[in-house]
Amino acid sequence: MSYEELDHTADIRLRVISPTPDSLFAETALAMMKIIYGESRPGVVERTIELEAGNTENLLLDFLSDVLFLSEVEYLVFSSATVHITGNSLRALLTGEPFDPERHRGGTEIKGISYSGLRIVKGDEGYVLDILFDV
Amino acid sequence: MVDTMLEQVTRLGEFEWEVPTGTVPGMRVPCRFFLSDSLYKSLESGAVQQLANVATLPGIIRYSLGMPDIHWGYGFPIGGVAAFERDTGVISPGGVGFDINCGVRLLSTPLTTGDLGHRRELIENLYQAVPTGVGAKGPVRLSLGDLEDMMIQGAGWPVRQGYGLAEDLDHCEEQGCMAQAESQAVSAKAKQRGMPQSGTLGAGNHFLEVQVVKEIYDPGAAKVFGIYPGQICVMIHCGSRGLGHQTCTDHLKVLEGATKRYNIVLPDRQLACAPLSSPEGTAYFGAMAASANYAWANRQMIMHTTRTVLGKMYGIDYDSMHLVYDVAHNVAKMEEHIIEGKRIAVCVHRKGATRAFGPGSPDLPSGYAKIGQPVIIPGSMGSSSYLLRGTTTAMESTFGSTCHGAGRILSRSAAKKTINGAKVKNSLSREGIIVRAPNDAAIAEEAPGAYKPSAEVVRIVDALGISNLVARLEPLGVIKG
Repeated sequence: MSYEELDHTADIRLRVISPTPDSLFAETALAMMKIIYGESRPGVVERTIELEAGNTENLLLDFLSDVLFLSEVEYLVFSSATVHITGNSLRALLTGEPFDPERHRGGTEIKGISYSGLRIVKGDEGYVLDILFDV
Repeated sequence: MVDTMLEQVTRLGEFEWEVPTGTVPGMRVPCRFFLSDSLYKSLESGAVQQLANVATLPGIIRYSLGMPDIHWGYGFPIGGVAAFERDTGVISPGGVGFDINCGVRLLSTPLTTGDLGHRRELIENLYQAVPTGVGAKGPVRLSLGDLEDMMIQGAGWPVRQGYGLAEDLDHCEEQGCMAQAESQAVSAKAKQRGMPQSGTLGAGNHFLEVQVVKEIYDPGAAKVFGIYPGQICVMIHCGSRGLGHQTCTDHLKVLEGATKRYNIVLPDRQLACAPLSSPEGTAYFGAMAASANYAWANRQMIMHTTRTVLGKMYGIDYDSMHLVYDVAHNVAKMEEHIIEGKRIAVCVHRKGATRAFGPGSPDLPSGYAKIGQPVIIPGSMGSSSYLLRGTTTAMESTFGSTCHGAGRILSRSAAKKTINGAKVKNSLSREGIIVRAPNDAAIAEEAPGAYKPSAEVVRIVDALGISNLVARLEPLGVIKG
């Protein structure tokens, strides 16, 4: 997983770099899981997300918001994600394990995914995303 | 861009600074913010940029304001205050934040330091009784009907269910209930998140702290607030949990579309907004108010648990523990303020800022009418918290607003890299402060060194007169999410 934490005083700002938009989306969702729960193990629980949005940035925000929602209401910690983007629609398969208070309390809650400073650009190393989570 | 923002700042007085119109294209008013020389050194250009961005929003009145705990956030800066004219202005979730009605309440007890034996056991009992951190479920299972009632009745709902006293409501901002709440404007997803979480503290900077009143600055006001030296109090800091977070997420999306529809040009997408009178603006306001009510009910439930634990351990009566006050510090409200001699209706956004209504203001309980509302300013973990009171100066210069806390100075990642949570816990323990948290990283992120000194922040608001010091409280033990 290729991401680094950028400086931000109040919240968590990440830079995620990945070869394709599909892998960029998947890696960002897993980075989010790591921030919230710390380490997790592979699991067998599967959930799918299907979405459409007006553009790539909105697709990403909606996708991450849905991952956050599913994880919170179903008490699931996802450790793997496969994303397929076609045009402005997305289909994702998430796998993980049930939340275990003994093992998954190593992180902090993400309250929301901000539009502030959101940027996806294609660079030499692949797709580069800057994104801010309110924690 | 980054360096030029700070270069645009001009000094107006000992604690007052201005960013002139023109600094960011489209600014309708200048920005004013309040800092001492020492706090100015930690001002980030990102915070100034965000303050200037707010000044571009339609209908903004007088200034885009920054309190002394100003720092870089998203949308509005944290510590940002702005008022928008009712008929021409906008409402923006970027001026409220994801954690709608994150706020603080202070509970006084009849206990003094000498009565507080078994302190470690007390903190452990509170930690076991109040669900904290990621994945926590509340002590009461709510039905959808209960949740709907809670969103409409606010703190009144738990009080009517037996989780509090009638007098508690009088000592909440808005009596713990915004009348504009529209539960149907809150999505099914938000309700699903809110149902299991009522009565939970959450994570991050949220806490429940047992404190002792260490110093009184204004004996008259302290007496009215029921506070005296050596007294044990409990401070509770939390918000609207997943229900509020989801409400912000849902309405941001709607308002982003509205921004385009109403031809509003924004420098930051997080400032997505709509006219106050528009269907989209009204829907967000109703959903935000419902979430704010949920947050008041949440703090009420946690206070009930606290009273029960203290009552059981120390044999004190439930009704001998009084709610001093409850303040919201992430909210937008319709208020009336006098602008250039005329009373006008405005929507005041306070994002990481506290209402500080002065003597004689509306919405104050009769007991506090002559003194102004209590203003509760939590310190960072291990440092002093303060009780202040609202002032006439605040009404005249900051739309009745003041700071909300110490304000971060170090990012969470920098704090985790440079501060060792276990060491902080041991050093606080040596000072007699017990910390209970799910992990040491949570302690490092919120360690005192990651924040501006709370003493300096309140010194400035007191010197400016936008709220006046009443008492200082010191921590004895804290539970964190």
